[in-house]
Amino acid sequence: MSGSRIRRLVALLLVCPAALAAQGPDVQARLAERGLPPELVRQVRDVAQSAAARGLPENAVADRAIEGWAKRIPPARIIAAVEQYAVRLGDARDAVGQAGIAVPPPEMIVAAAEALGRGLGPAQVGAVVHAARAPGAVAPGLSVVTALTAEGLAPDAAVGVVVAAMRDGRSVEQLLDMPSNARAMRAGGMEPGEVGRRMMRGGGPGGERPGGVGPRPQGMPPGMPRGMPRQGQPPSPGGHRPPGGG
Amino acid sequence: MKRNDGFGPEIQRYLDGDGAAEVPADARVRADRLAEAARAYGESLPPLGARLDDAVMAAVRARTPVVAPTGWRWFVAPQSVRVRPVLVPLMAAAALALWFLPRGVVQDAAPASEVVAAMAPAPHDTVFVRFDLSAPDAREVAVAGSFNGWRPESMQMARSAGGVWSVTVPLAIGEHRYQFVVDGQRWVPDPTARALVDDGFGGRNSVIVVGPKGVVRS
Repeated sequence: MSGSRIRRLVALLLVCPAALAAQGPDVQARLAERGLPPELVRQVRDVAQSAAARGLPENAVADRAIEGWAKRIPPARIIAAVEQYAVRLGDARDAVGQAGIAVPPPEMIVAAAEALGRGLGPAQVGAVVHAARAPGAVAPGLSVVTALTAEGLAPDAAVGVVVAAMRDGRSVEQLLDMPSNARAMRAGGMEPGEVGRRMMRGGGPGGERPGGVGPRPQGMPPGMPRGMPRQGQPPSPGGHRPPGGG
Repeated sequence: MKRNDGFGPEIQRYLDGDGAAEVPADARVRADRLAEAARAYGESLPPLGARLDDAVMAAVRARTPVVAPTGWRWFVAPQSVRVRPVLVPLMAAAALALWFLPRGVVQDAAPASEVVAAMAPAPHDTVFVRFDLSAPDAREVAVAGSFNGWRPESMQMARSAGGVWSVTVPLAIGEHRYQFVVDGQRWVPDPTARALVDDGFGGRNSVIVVGPKGVVRS
């Protein structure tokens, strides 16, 4: 046997356990491990299997059941919520599919479902999916859109900012810094409409462009707004309670 | 059994042309006779010449070449695998190590005595995020969310002066949903969040977006 074949065989032996491990435990095992009663496990498993048969992520269904069980929600309500979530996953898959992704990865479907649940429409989800240069950018992009809407931006404006940033070639990390930039601008007294316009123009919280969508200034890392905590410091969400301040 | 069918080493050396070999006279006569017979037999054989080479090469070319199986046939066909024995336990150990790799399951952490939760070292795509909740009357407070499988026991918060409970945890960049769990029973959203999302069970989850240089709760 040639050396290359031996190497291929060794690689196969090494990759097979890794691939099996990457699959993780199945839905039923996960639910049982979290202490869900057998009847509830069976019902959730049925919903998850039905979802999987339609190309939807079954583990997302299990996650929702685990969340409900952790919150001590009665089993009947858990099942109702899980079934409703499976329907939303299907709607999300359709929205992503209409944007040109025939077989979307599970995380993209979940992110789209979350976005639909937070009030975005299928067309707005599709716009983000269509603008993403890589599948891995869709979920962060949708998260940023919803986070920007929470800062007061209109959904269409938030979608426009994210789509423009994606088309500008911004990385996922840069996208994820946009909400904190918007919050900094809002904290400075800027109105949501002005925040959106400034981000579209490439402006940041200090009048610079970080986090926005224009040319990048010299000497400043992308996405680094003035006055924001740098890496190594635990950021204080909301800015109202500095780290260590109690 | 006699060696060389009765030929002793002296006769063998004599037949090999060793003039110094001491051979009895009668044995020398017998050896000369055998040598003469062998020479006559050799001369009676037809010359091999180039025809033998041509015949051998023609036979070789006529044989169907053995093609190494490829693809799936390679896996089902009998194969000889030459592996250094010392590599076998190493490969087995590597396979076991891959099998038992951590799969992101958050281990149950001991109660936090400090503000940093006892968790595995954070990879570089995580950001340390601090959660705070003012609950002066609470006996214990934890945070549970999509980042820890909704396990409150894995992220207990520590109380500081003024009844503020805090914990700092490494979170992967991206979006996470969470709630605080007060006294092990009461699930409450983050009061600092600007907007909440329906959790599907009649409650409201807080959402945190973690970027490399900042976090935003909504």
